[in-house]
Amino acid sequence: MSSKELREKAKSIAEEYGYLPYMIERYLTLWGEDETIQFLAACEKPIRTAIRINTLRAKQEFVVNRLRNKGVKLEKIPWLDDGFYADFEGHSTPGAFLEHMLGYYYVQGVPSMTTVEILDPQPGETVFDLAAAPGGKTTHIAQKMNNEGMVIAIEQDRRRMASLESNILRCNVVNAVILRGDAKKIDKIGIQPDRILLDAPCSGEGLLPIDPTRKTSKTIADVRYCATREDELLDAAVSVLAPGGTIVYSTCSIAPEENEYVVDDILKRHPEMTIVHIPLEFGISGYLQPYGVNLNKSLKLTRRFLPHLHNSEGFFICKMVKEDNA
Amino acid sequence: MKPELLDPIEWESITQVIDIEFGKEVTKKLLGNKTPIVIMKESQRNIYLIPLSWMNMLLDESPEDFEYHLIGKQLGVVSKERFRLSLQILQELAGLTNRRLVVSKKAAEAFTYGRSILKESVIRFDENLKRRQRVLVMNEDSECLGIAALSGDKLVGKNLVDIGWFIRRLG
Repeated sequence: MSSKELREKAKSIAEEYGYLPYMIERYLTLWGEDETIQFLAACEKPIRTAIRINTLRAKQEFVVNRLRNKGVKLEKIPWLDDGFYADFEGHSTPGAFLEHMLGYYYVQGVPSMTTVEILDPQPGETVFDLAAAPGGKTTHIAQKMNNEGMVIAIEQDRRRMASLESNILRCNVVNAVILRGDAKKIDKIGIQPDRILLDAPCSGEGLLPIDPTRKTSKTIADVRYCATREDELLDAAVSVLAPGGTIVYSTCSIAPEENEYVVDDILKRHPEMTIVHIPLEFGISGYLQPYGVNLNKSLKLTRRFLPHLHNSEGFFICKMVKEDNA
Repeated sequence: MKPELLDPIEWESITQVIDIEFGKEVTKKLLGNKTPIVIMKESQRNIYLIPLSWMNMLLDESPEDFEYHLIGKQLGVVSKERFRLSLQILQELAGLTNRRLVVSKKAAEAFTYGRSILKESVIRFDENLKRRQRVLVMNEDSECLGIAALSGDKLVGKNLVDIGWFIRRLG
């Protein structure tokens, strides 16, 4: 397809589905027409609600039985220790249940839970959670650490502090420290953490099934702005990570500019970092030649969730380790 | 907002408030081998319990450009010279005290929406409880739902705080 044909095709599809044309042009280049249409159709369908059982408050079996007795249909998510698809149909919202107020579970997207499963924090370690609000991943990290060690949750947005704090208290996390500040300055904290989770603030292009306003709310300039900020955040994170430490970088964007491109740049600037295999069965591999640009071959070890393939929001996850002698 | 060691006199006063309401040495048990510290937030003093091993990092090497908002386990908040227990600590406290009201399922649900407890909703209580005494409100599954203050004959427990706050706070 010539670029003129591509633009005309994109314009026509964009009009039909209510998107900005630049987005469709990118999808057509990445996936071709058939897969683009599948993607757009999937973004019109609701995503399955999921919960994580919070074992800091109660045993998994106990909570599962309580919810099932109330008519909530639960289905275990195969690659997650405590994650379940949850059908609350016919009930009030998942957040209004007594069990939710008691901190027995956290309503959370499947990809978000997957990032912490991949990070695999251990009791006694020091872990940074950057851009931490509203606290789903922070509370999950503490759960994996069995409340032993320290998770430092960093968030810059003052308005999001209340939700972060509230969820930490509700879920009975006692090994967390919340710091408000710019995660790009984490070197000033003076700690080299064993693990870092950076679920970076992004353009949210993967959230189209949840937020239809995203079809028209962001320009390509916004995507580029986010990519620059993500690169700076990841650079700062890599710099403070302890030798031998692990970092998980993720975004809820499907844009290669915010994902594979960012990691590819980091690998060039930080030869001490290596992408490692993710030992969980989910999603598809990251892209090696998005828009025809050749990237580091180890990016095939990264993983993507896509709405039309996995009935979830779009997500990118990359696990890297720092060499021992760095 | 840098964490500071809690003044021993203030800690003594908090200990007295908790122990008088919920029983002798309850505060000591809640403290365990941790240390009480305070973070100022506007006019509130937030009291947290932290492991001794955190002390150096938090007090000696407090990072520039970052504000502390929470550390460790929240015991409570001092506001207008009055100490209020944190919702986080209540389930643990419930295992250390008999100052409890066990209420019916319907009343338990209403309590989490901010309602108070009527006499006919009470299933069990300690005979030694006194008027104006603060008590933990429990459901029949031994889950702590919040704190009430004992009051008159008909309305026996005035809702002071409940776990519905977690939802209401976020709108």
